[in-house]
Amino acid sequence: MIPGHDWFPRELPANVRIGERSWLYSSFALLHCVSRRQGAVRIGNDSGIYQGTFFELGPRGEVWIGDYCSIVGATICVNSRVEIGDYALIAHEVVIADSHWSVPPPGTFGVEGAAADGPEEPPAIVVGRNAWVGARAVLLRGCELGEGAIVGAGAVVDFRVPPYAIVAGNPARIVGWATPKDGGGKG
Amino acid sequence: MSEIDELTGCWDYDSLPENVVLGKDCFLERKHSFARFRSRKEAGLVLGDRVRVYTWTTFNVEPGGSIVVGDDSILVGAVFMCAERIEIGRRTVISYNVTIADSDFHPKDPSIRMADAIANAPFGDRSQRPGIVSRPVRIGDDVWIGIGAIILKGVSIGRGARVCAGTVVTGDVPAGATVAGNPGKLWGEEAG
Repeated sequence: MIPGHDWFPRELPANVRIGERSWLYSSFALLHCVSRRQGAVRIGNDSGIYQGTFFELGPRGEVWIGDYCSIVGATICVNSRVEIGDYALIAHEVVIADSHWSVPPPGTFGVEGAAADGPEEPPAIVVGRNAWVGARAVLLRGCELGEGAIVGAGAVVDFRVPPYAIVAGNPARIVGWATPKDGGGKG
Repeated sequence: MSEIDELTGCWDYDSLPENVVLGKDCFLERKHSFARFRSRKEAGLVLGDRVRVYTWTTFNVEPGGSIVVGDDSILVGAVFMCAERIEIGRRTVISYNVTIADSDFHPKDPSIRMADAIANAPFGDRSQRPGIVSRPVRIGDDVWIGIGAIILKGVSIGRGARVCAGTVVTGDVPAGATVAGNPGKLWGEEAG
């Protein structure tokens, strides 16, 4: 869902795919995206990507977002793959970065170059299904949030977080657990 | 009224909802600060005398929320996320990019949170969102809150305390204390 409400006068790049009933606030989110991967940004169904989210993707950057996700305002700055599972909630001013990419100089948007499609590599950063990332948290290379994990506001995470763990602080550490009362896992 | 007026405090403050109560000589720089004010409380926002609200402040207030700010306080960039109650004392200064939230706004239990994600989808039924936990935030008189601090639900900050830049405040701060870090830790107490 981009035509109609997009105020930014630039076409959505062809390698951005948006599922049914999903919402992307504007193609402005792709202002600095120079990814040449075929599926640079894949957004599933019923997901909302709101004002203040930016896909700052390098030539090999990819962001795969599942169904029923809410991304209130994240800056995703990577030259590798980020996977965000179904039902994930990501709050405002979150930064997701693999430290392998920075904003390109002005005028280089969309410049042709070698195709960056190649063998799939494992994702550099994973936000598991049903995970919840609090405001202004920072997720770095190696961050792998298990299903239902919770990241506290302002936490900095660069490690594997087990399912249903709660992490907080800088550096983040496990401060508790939120195990589903009914066993969880169902849609 | 021009667009410039709406950014420079020269707009008609009487155009705010009736449940916004202003003291004498308040300065409200940007009209957009109130765009997400949705309180239905009788006094949804009460600003004391001479309160100054600058551009980067936003009052995100849910229907059941209310905020009170004491006389002579200065809100530079306070981002209020209010579901229930946030109280700010007198002569308190809140810097840029400070988030003050009296709720986490999503359920902690993963299964209930999944239902929340579905209800909160772009075309979901928001009326089906599960209830959320909230606990009031109270910030006393003469408090300084530094750039980028985050104040979480249930926190009380005592008179004259200082919150350093970037602190994530998860527990109470005694009067006169200085708190820093993530999670916030007391640096040492000063004469309150």
